Amino acid sequence: MAVYKISYVVIGSDHPGGIVNSNERPQVGDQVNIGDQVFETIEVFELMPPRKDFHYIHVTCQPHNPE
Amino acid sequence: MLKEILGEVELFEGLSDDDLEQVAAISKERLIPRGDLLVREGDAGDELFIITDGFVEVLLETPRRVLVNLGTGQITGEMALVDGGPRSASLRAISDPTVVQVIHRSDFDKLCNDNARLGYIVFRNLAADLSFKLRDRNLRER
Repeated sequence: MAVYKISYVVIGSDHPGGIVNSNERPQVGDQVNIGDQVFETIEVFELMPPRKDFHYIHVTCQPHNPE
Repeated sequence: MLKEILGEVELFEGLSDDDLEQVAAISKERLIPRGDLLVREGDAGDELFIITDGFVEVLLETPRRVLVNLGTGQITGEMALVDGGPRSASLRAISDPTVVQVIHRSDFDKLCNDNARLGYIVFRNLAADLSFKLRDRNLRER
């Protein structure tokens, strides 16, 4: 099973972001919990080439503000 | 069960089922209540932590700031394990509870010495993890 090691960098907030493993590739528009806060994914790209089942992904996200 | 969890941790990517059983045998589960420290910056360190549930924040004491939150599947505490130096940052649980697997340095060293192939794979993966964290850190400084 693929494992996505995801680096989350938060913009528009002083939240430090995070690094989390997931079995699903992140997509722009996804909502994600980092610690106890929810963020919206606005950018996704590959940070390093994959090694076997492990994929290295960078995500930029911003605080989620439900309307 | 633990073997399957460890199989999804990058540090152990490429290990056989038998290897993973050996790693599981030296791992001890620890539940950390929200707000408690796993390690304190500057302390001596001889344990590696694998986060299997929840989040840990990595924080500097002076000036006090959180560098990053680490979630499921991440390893932390590895620098003290590799270079023998003091803890470079504090680690605090921010989920309730946060669950980690703990591997003591002496058990880790013995396992790598007894099984050179396993040791090579784990240290190669450890280098890849440190590389990822450096790239991540660079992006955070943009």
